[in-house]
Amino acid sequence: MRAPILAAVAAGLIASPAAAQNASQGNAQGELAVTIYNGGQSLVQDVRQIRFPAGRSRQEFPDVSAQIRPQTVSFGAADTAIVEQNFDYDLLSPNALMQKAVGETVTLLRINPATGAETRERAKVLAVNGGVVLQIGTRIEILRDDGLPVRVIFDSIPPNLRAKPTLSITVDSNSASTRPATLSYLTGGLGWAADYVSLYDEKAGTVDVQGWVTLTNTTGTTFENAKTLLVAGTPSGGVANNVRSGRYRPVPTAPGTLRSAGTETAPREQLGDYYLYPLPERTTIANAQTKQVSFLDVARVPARKIYEFTVDGFNNMTEPASAASVIKFSSSREGGLGDALPAGTVRFYQRDLRGDPQFIGESRIGHTPMGSELGLKTGDAFDVKVKATVVSRERRTPTIWRSAMSYLITNARSQPITLDLVQRGLDWYWSETRILSESQKSERLDSDGTRWRVTVPANGETTITATFETRY
Amino acid sequence: MRWAAPLLLLVAPASAMAAPVVTSTAPDSVSVSVFRDPDRDEGGEIDRDWLNGFALISETRTLDLPAGESVVRFEGVAEGMVAVSAIVTGLPGGVVQKNRDAALLSPASLLDGTLGNRVHLRRTKRATGDVTEEEAIIRSGPAGAVVLQTSAGFEALRCTGIPESLVYDGVPKGLTAKPTLSVTTRSPAAQRVTATLTYLSTGFDWASNYVARVAPGGKTLDLFAWLTVANSNGESFADASLSALAGTLNVERDFDELVESPLTPRLNLTCFPTGSGRYGQPLLSPPPPAPAMVGYADEGAENIVVTGMRLREAKASSPVAVVAEQEDLGDLKLYRVPIPVTVAANGQKQVALLVKDDVPFATIYRLRVDVDDEFDDEAAEILLRMENRKSEKLGIPLPSGQVAVFEQSHGMELLAGEGAIRDHAIGERVDIVIGESSQVRVAIENYATPGKDRHSYRATVSNANPYAVTFELGFDYYEDGQLDSRLRKLPRKDGLPTWTVRVPANATRRFDYRVRASGG
Repeated sequence: MRAPILAAVAAGLIASPAAAQNASQGNAQGELAVTIYNGGQSLVQDVRQIRFPAGRSRQEFPDVSAQIRPQTVSFGAADTAIVEQNFDYDLLSPNALMQKAVGETVTLLRINPATGAETRERAKVLAVNGGVVLQIGTRIEILRDDGLPVRVIFDSIPPNLRAKPTLSITVDSNSASTRPATLSYLTGGLGWAADYVSLYDEKAGTVDVQGWVTLTNTTGTTFENAKTLLVAGTPSGGVANNVRSGRYRPVPTAPGTLRSAGTETAPREQLGDYYLYPLPERTTIANAQTKQVSFLDVARVPARKIYEFTVDGFNNMTEPASAASVIKFSSSREGGLGDALPAGTVRFYQRDLRGDPQFIGESRIGHTPMGSELGLKTGDAFDVKVKATVVSRERRTPTIWRSAMSYLITNARSQPITLDLVQRGLDWYWSETRILSESQKSERLDSDGTRWRVTVPANGETTITATFETRY
Repeated sequence: MRWAAPLLLLVAPASAMAAPVVTSTAPDSVSVSVFRDPDRDEGGEIDRDWLNGFALISETRTLDLPAGESVVRFEGVAEGMVAVSAIVTGLPGGVVQKNRDAALLSPASLLDGTLGNRVHLRRTKRATGDVTEEEAIIRSGPAGAVVLQTSAGFEALRCTGIPESLVYDGVPKGLTAKPTLSVTTRSPAAQRVTATLTYLSTGFDWASNYVARVAPGGKTLDLFAWLTVANSNGESFADASLSALAGTLNVERDFDELVESPLTPRLNLTCFPTGSGRYGQPLLSPPPPAPAMVGYADEGAENIVVTGMRLREAKASSPVAVVAEQEDLGDLKLYRVPIPVTVAANGQKQVALLVKDDVPFATIYRLRVDVDDEFDDEAAEILLRMENRKSEKLGIPLPSGQVAVFEQSHGMELLAGEGAIRDHAIGERVDIVIGESSQVRVAIENYATPGKDRHSYRATVSNANPYAVTFELGFDYYEDGQLDSRLRKLPRKDGLPTWTVRVPANATRRFDYRVRASGG
């Protein structure tokens, strides 16, 4: 009488992990649509055929994302009304099994270490606190106190303990029939970013840009044959409350990647402010998979290289420092990429003398509207250097100082170059800095910085001098 | 079948001289009122791994009381019970005293409680498998080692190198499997009574989860909210009357601290030095594995008809059959689930909290800055604005929670934003920040006027959307003297001078202002 029950329990215990190895067989997922946002948030819509009995019934939904946010579940089926939704995660483990067996009777199978003889006893679990206290007949024992082999066999698994978190929805149904039901929920672990492959042609002054969507799935779940839609945007905000923490925005020391935000609308479908990038056909997004899909391919977009260097204060540089190489281009319809650019990494390549593309550096961009001007730093130039020297610093009055600066820009390249030299630190805590004299007219960027656009001949050098009056 | 005798009988002989013990194992009916985590951020979510709210649990239990004094033991209460909060009513003789017995039955307490008592020492010979058992007397406490007196003399437990185990004749008095509440009562006569046990318990939390579905046209939305309740106790409350309370209660004591059961002493036996330093085997069961969130085990598949059919039409959402009823409880808002529901152990459940359709709303783009901020590029926040008034199809208390906003696009209902709202009373304006725009961007440049103590700023807002948007730029500042007349003339919104502008499709708008240096 006892043996078949034990066998059934044992079989059940062994069967579950085995089923776990095979995701493709018996997958309860229906027709899937997966919408993936930047920032690892995704919306899964799963249309399943469900047999609803008339009246109230509880429907379980296996094979949802293992990183489901159960509080975001919505459910829809014709002629049904939702009573409640439950997400149960009382998980089956040896410890949980033993904890729930307090007060219950289990079977002990002792194995004699020398003879292998098996002795079977029934024992009642009295307590599980730092060890299992058992009552066998009239005697009290501690499970495996002497370290000898003992098998504990439970008669059944408590109904509340589950192999994995289980989502269930209780519905009222007007009619008994099998009909489609939509389950939709948000999940973490699915995200995407854009990767741009940009081939820069220095001679022609153009760049060829391919945009790739890189999709990653770390949910622990495979989404079979899913209609996939990518949304360029992170649709999440904070709490709309009155606390403003007096954010301090430091004055920018080096120019960012987005030089001016565009106002053109890209020729793509929008969801609110976010552009949609639908994948052309259904695809299986396997767990732990990285998938790449092309979304942009534009050739010969005008681009130019410029060097940039920012001097932070009126300091002497004992060693020259490399200028940043920056590639500038536009995302405009006219003379640009002609598309909005989802956030991602732009990798620049340039052909070497043999014609092979070589990697020359990368830069991150945020979501960039169409029509924007971009300046992406690819790295520091080997051959273009700047050395700033404090020629003199005089105290004119107790608070007014006069600094004469000299900047030596050297170019070891065989082409002439253009360099934007920026002197920052002019606005030292609301002082009044004036440029008394300069060897070339500069453009005041803002109260804190001024910029000279300097051309340096091939294999040559240029010196800029300027005198500042500063109040400390 | 002797061993099947209930625990009660085991305890009874030890306390034969004391009052009889009446054990109540389960309630007849239970009601659960859940309170939110008082320290959670406004609009925050439930942390299922660490529930910091609490619940008031009220259970009715049927008891058979003997005449005279008896001890009633309440079993099957939530493990997070705050014993000092327990109230027992319905006992005809009242409550003489109330105890929370937390001396737990464990290997260490067995040893300790049996100190000086006779036990059996069972040894197994590895070579032959012969089991011998002899009487022994425990002569030392469980702190680190056990010294036993046997017929051979004095020995140390588990310093022999042979498998040995202590076997006890009974459980020492007063040890329980789990912390238990017991009350002493004096009943005038033997009778069956219905008593009510009411107590606070930790390991609960609740939050609202709003779903806003924007109607085509983008002028109104259907607002719906789930009442999400989670229970991390090991006990399930079947067919409970469930309610949830919104509002802020003053809580002085840390309930978790009050609940904490005394640490179960670990039995870790040490021996006299034997050269190799053999240590006793720790008797702890392995720690529970972290809840594994991966795997494809498919135990519920029999409920589901798997089909390869392509489905064109499926309803996006069903109506709700049951909606919580709201009532005012003093300064709190009480939401009652009108049907009995089961609050499962380690489970989260959702019942509809509120349903409001066709609520008008506005989409606003907003940025708040300090008057002396400057930056190249900032994304504007996207804000949904509603008025919580009856005339605006709302006018109900909105408890704090997360909001998910859905819109129709690409032939589907897609997530358009997520945000959070604090508790909103009727009459308040509801602003929900649901994301940042990549299309509406703001730059503020400070084009210097050297030699002056005022700085000239220009704020530029650019709109790459093919439609016009409303943008609000709010200025935070320290003192009026900083502001020029253009800033001072701006209307106030939430206390901040705010530049409100309609930015046409694919266009930019500018605002120039001057600011005097603060503290200059």
